[in-house]
Amino acid sequence: MRILPFGEGALVAEFPALDDVLAHFAALSASPPPGVTELVPAARTILVTFAAPASTAVVRQWLEQTAPHDAEASTAEDSRDIVTLEVDYSGQDLPAVARLLGVSEAEVVRRHQHCVWTAAFTGFAPGFAYLVTPENPLQVPRLAEPRTRVPAGSVGLAGEFSGVYPSASPGGWQLIGRTDARLWDAAREQPALIAPGTRVRFRAV
Amino acid sequence: MAFEILEPGLATTVQDRGRFGYYNVGIPQGGAMDALSAEMANALAGNTPAEAVLECTYMGPRFRTDDAAVIAVTGAPVDVKVNGGARGEWSRLELDAGDEVSFGILRGGTRFYIAVRGGIDVPVVLGSRSTYGLGGIGGLGGRPLRAGDLVPVGNGAAPDGSEPPQEIDPGLRPVFEKEVSVRVMPGLYDHRLTARGMETLLGATWTLTPVADRTGLRYSGPEVEWEPRQQPFGAGSDPSNIVDAGYAVGSIQIPGGKEPIVLHRDAVSGGGYAMVATVISADMDLLARSAPGTKTRFRSVSMDEALAARAHQRSLRARLWGSGD
Repeated sequence: MRILPFGEGALVAEFPALDDVLAHFAALSASPPPGVTELVPAARTILVTFAAPASTAVVRQWLEQTAPHDAEASTAEDSRDIVTLEVDYSGQDLPAVARLLGVSEAEVVRRHQHCVWTAAFTGFAPGFAYLVTPENPLQVPRLAEPRTRVPAGSVGLAGEFSGVYPSASPGGWQLIGRTDARLWDAAREQPALIAPGTRVRFRAV
Repeated sequence: MAFEILEPGLATTVQDRGRFGYYNVGIPQGGAMDALSAEMANALAGNTPAEAVLECTYMGPRFRTDDAAVIAVTGAPVDVKVNGGARGEWSRLELDAGDEVSFGILRGGTRFYIAVRGGIDVPVVLGSRSTYGLGGIGGLGGRPLRAGDLVPVGNGAAPDGSEPPQEIDPGLRPVFEKEVSVRVMPGLYDHRLTARGMETLLGATWTLTPVADRTGLRYSGPEVEWEPRQQPFGAGSDPSNIVDAGYAVGSIQIPGGKEPIVLHRDAVSGGGYAMVATVISADMDLLARSAPGTKTRFRSVSMDEALAARAHQRSLRARLWGSGD
């Protein structure tokens, strides 16, 4: 783990792989010292923000000394229902994704539906989940030039992740389709349709 | 009691000190952008610093109170009118039932605040009354005010019966300038800029563009040079791309090397652009006060200087509230 200062009120811990992030996040979120305000896991990092009485020294020591939870144990028992999202696979980057992977567009769509995806972490915007799948057969780089506006419901790919934009926002993921599912609904008891650990399947309509 | 909104203003929202602990599901801390001005409005109205206020952006609302009320207006310089008669900012204002409050054109800055004794009494959502528009939560229906809204006001007395200040000491009031110097700490990914790129970021005079809202502020200026780099797989080919990571409030990213963006209180919680520096927390209010066109320099400071600035902010607040902390 490498710990870097991020302004005077935050630290970032860097890890070699997503599994390390999730194992440390599970342990850290169970034991925050007073003054820690936010703990945000991402692909290779955990962001920690804090205010008094916490200090850089206290938070750094806590990060270094908290043993990670066994990631296997924490996810194996996850028996949540699978959320199925219906997708119109006519995203504007589908041809480019097929080209990048050297397969047909139909094969991209087949693979995307065939995989069972799991939300590794959430963030970016309310309701946005970073979905992973074992040995992801759909790894493509993000766009060179991000779009200033991606419509709500857009289904995208970037690196080891797939995801759905819950609301219109700027975005740099390769868009392969669109869903009408409401990823975020403030009126629901659980506003986010997909929480960390939720399993997701996509189905073409 | 309630305020009846006759005209909503451009983007008037309910804000308090923010919502903490939900950033990892993408819900930012939010809260008043210019936190000190909002706190001063609460002090004048006889509230605790935790009460919700109205944050008005560029153009204020017009509203009528259905009962006697104590209010205060602070922040960006603007003419305050009660039943058409001029009143002042930075002081306590007494309203009678039926009084109508309206505002002139901003003379500088971006945001001003209206506090009312008892606070704006909308439901608390995830620990806060702050409006978060993108998520549609908090405030009135998770959105800016509309004409016809009835904004509920709580029944509050001054805390511990002490008499609130009649006005804010002019020496304590924030200033709204056309040129500002903003203190930053380099990192996390400052090594991704060339030495010349960092010199440009810290040496140039940047101009705040109109692309500035609660999420972030975008600045125009010269291009900033990045180190050429073989990107890790999954990151984009823009030299400023990283594998997605969490963004702290105040972090500066420069997509494509052009137009730095500083994330503010409604920050997106993460993404794939390298954060090259972070505005220290003591200067976040300063950004919130900037109007488009404001000439801005980013000045590098050490951790010790950042912590000293934070301590100075605390002492300012202690003077405002007349307490030890």
